[in-house]
Amino acid sequence: MVSAYDANEQSSLKAAALENLWMHNTDWTQTAEEGGPTIIVSGQGARVTDSEGRTWLDVHGGYASVNAGYGRSEIADAMLAQMQALTYFPQGTTTEPLIRLVEKLGTMLPGDLERVWPVTGGSEANETSIKIARAYHKKRGEPGRYKVISRKGSYHGATAGVMWLGGGKGLSDYEPAPAGMVYAPQPNPSRCELGGATPTECASRCAQAVEDLILFHGPKTVAALIAEPITSAGGAIVPGDEYWPMVRDICDRHGVLLIADEVVCGFGRTGKMFASEHWDLVPDLMTIGKGLTSSYLPMAASVATTRVADVFTGQDNIFRQALTFGGHPVTAAVALKNIEIIERDGLVENSAKVGEYFLSRLHELKERHDVVGDVRGKGLLLGIDLVADAETGGNEDKSTGFGKRLTAKLREQGLLLKCGDNAVSMGPPLCITRQDVDEIVDGLDRALGEL
Amino acid sequence: MASTSDIDALRNASLRYLWMHNRDWSQMAEEGDPPIIISGQGVRVTDSDGRSWIDVNGGYNSVNVGYGRTEITDAAFEQMQKLSYFPNGTTTEPTVRLAEKLAAIAPGSLSRVFPVSGGSEANETALKIARAYHKRNGEPGRYKVISRRGSYHGTTAGVLWLGGSAAQPRDDFEPAYPGMIYGPQPNPYRCELGGETPSECAVRCANEIERLIEFHGSETIAAVIAEPVGVPQGAAVPGDDYWPMLRDICDRHGVLLIADEVICGFGRTGKMFAMEHWGVVPDIMTVAKGIISSYLPLAATIVRREIADAFAGENNYLRHVLTFSGHPVSAAAALKNIEILENENMVQNSAEVGAYFKQQLEGLKVDHPLVGDVRGLGLLLAVELVSDRKTKAGFSREDRIPERLNVKFKKYGLIFRISSNILSIGPPLCITTGEVDEIVHAIDLSLWELEGEMGIATMT
Repeated sequence: MVSAYDANEQSSLKAAALENLWMHNTDWTQTAEEGGPTIIVSGQGARVTDSEGRTWLDVHGGYASVNAGYGRSEIADAMLAQMQALTYFPQGTTTEPLIRLVEKLGTMLPGDLERVWPVTGGSEANETSIKIARAYHKKRGEPGRYKVISRKGSYHGATAGVMWLGGGKGLSDYEPAPAGMVYAPQPNPSRCELGGATPTECASRCAQAVEDLILFHGPKTVAALIAEPITSAGGAIVPGDEYWPMVRDICDRHGVLLIADEVVCGFGRTGKMFASEHWDLVPDLMTIGKGLTSSYLPMAASVATTRVADVFTGQDNIFRQALTFGGHPVTAAVALKNIEIIERDGLVENSAKVGEYFLSRLHELKERHDVVGDVRGKGLLLGIDLVADAETGGNEDKSTGFGKRLTAKLREQGLLLKCGDNAVSMGPPLCITRQDVDEIVDGLDRALGEL
Repeated sequence: MASTSDIDALRNASLRYLWMHNRDWSQMAEEGDPPIIISGQGVRVTDSDGRSWIDVNGGYNSVNVGYGRTEITDAAFEQMQKLSYFPNGTTTEPTVRLAEKLAAIAPGSLSRVFPVSGGSEANETALKIARAYHKRNGEPGRYKVISRRGSYHGTTAGVLWLGGSAAQPRDDFEPAYPGMIYGPQPNPYRCELGGETPSECAVRCANEIERLIEFHGSETIAAVIAEPVGVPQGAAVPGDDYWPMLRDICDRHGVLLIADEVICGFGRTGKMFAMEHWGVVPDIMTVAKGIISSYLPLAATIVRREIADAFAGENNYLRHVLTFSGHPVSAAAALKNIEILENENMVQNSAEVGAYFKQQLEGLKVDHPLVGDVRGLGLLLAVELVSDRKTKAGFSREDRIPERLNVKFKKYGLIFRISSNILSIGPPLCITTGEVDEIVHAIDLSLWELEGEMGIATMT
């Protein structure tokens, strides 16, 4: 256990952070008002300890990414062993842990998803998938297929190609948008934009809307549809069961590639190894990240089916892409050990079982608090829909800053969970217990009650 | 690593499941590829057959301190034992210390650090900051980005379209990103604008950037992005006038200057950062590769205080999240890597051994008519091969120069991948003059053989 830092060390660290660090989605003046950033020094399971010696439960599991939980010394040992052997590799060569990893992924992924392009993060993985999709059509003699359909409110990354997918506010800073972004409705049963009154109705209307968009734009102009099997942004939106079989069929009929973004959903997050398995979906391309290494090191991948990948064989057909850190042997060794732990410790089953309990307890919150419009999710990808008016589901007049205040209230109870104004997303480590769930839900209950 | 059958099984698994950089599995199978590397020390690596190689490219010009530095392994391991990651909205000690260190060693007021995991992400972040900065500054029309033909800045959709060349086509990925403007590369050996001296080329190429800004309207231009020394065209060192002129042009037109030091940074060119050669401070600087010598993935976008401060205040913050940004284990490894670079004077070694290396390469000109130009700074060096020194004519694809040389270099124990008529060199900065002699000797022998095969009369 790391001892708490003394006051001098703490203030020097916080001052340096405020002076030189650019943190996610905040700025140094706001962080200064909050007394400087919380500096985490150690972690175990679902809990982390900060420099002041305070222990927290990480309800969001570090962007829903620390699937195996913190403090797995076996992963540190695997990293050590690989770094002692080899840390990197010359151009045109490869390494054993990477081969072992891609073999493992090729074996465990659905269908014939077998050809693995390793990268260092989910954004790069989705960028790679889109590049593969566009190049695939060009190599097959359909160069006009470049448009990409995504669903409103989804999130697929922060780099220039993928940040426009899903759309949404906050992007205006980065205009102009690139060509070919087409937006379909989000199959959100609690707020179906096409008025579907049941999950089934919402699912089939939203799937049909994808086909209508393809026909409107012309199938010969559409390269791919990209979507998370369960949408993490906006709080674990689970589509009705009709959605995925319909969308798969629509893509097939129109020659559109289906990209499943399993960056959040993969590696047990939703109670199956991959969320596509809930609907026996085999996408043409799948992107994985986060849970691939449980964030022990940066790694992600884009995986193509044999049918898609084999279009790129032969000297003039190669897929032209290089990323210095793509296929890093140390991150591969860490990913292999992480997957071994997820399988060995039954974390996927735990995600399903504890997730079910978690969701049932969230339903209690819905009954007790008007502001909770809906609770939903699968496995340990869970969400709470916040509304100002439980009757209409509207949230227009809810005072802004609600998420910030809820976040602060939860912190008072030792829970780290960044809340939005309209939704709360949760993705704790898959090793959490029912007792941890009780602590989280009781904390939410108190916080919502006080607000 | 064990028996031959194990190695065959591994190689077969890689052919079935792995998608490698710029290759495909059918060609690799024909060539008995890929080589599988199992260990490394200094500038050398060993493969699964027990053969030792010199890595002349140093990964992708990225293994600056060399292979096998156990101190970096220990630092990463120690950090991972304590903490492997962090919750949303918090940070960690190594990340903070790294940001502080980068601010201390980066030129001028470059002091606000957005950490990411690779050079592409760093340049994407720089472009996002540039565009968002102008919007905060009341100039929302500034979105276009000027890059130079022949440059490379990454592979994700925003930066993929920067720079570029006919040799690396990207039509597979059309349509291009909006707002891409291309200026000339100030490559003194082949000045697009006919400059006959480095200085003339520099002045013409810098002036051309200003003409582009004026043509498009400065109120539409967000940034100019450039590597201090152009890399894909083989260590194209611009004349000394170039960078001060470019800085001045950007200032006069309100355009941000982004220096891509992904390759040049951390001693590669004989200074800690290549912009120090010309005393120019960019508005945004991107770093990767050498920041961590590729021991783990890490990169960063470093911004001048005056620019970053436009993002202070609740509604001004930069909307940009990457899960692995600020990873504590990568940060701990990077801190140790920078400490080694500094404590062992590797930047100075890069300058000194780089000068020796360049001189030895110049010596090849005496015997080999194929050697058209030798250039570079520090340990970022290049040899350009030509069929005629006077006209500087290159070779046709049919001559298969890169393929043939790759085979020869392999025979002489070099991993030295070339993809054009330019031999780009970027070894670990710990390289000795003895190792330089080994490499130059192997290049010498390879060129003799090539000239013999092509029936080219040598000069002695």
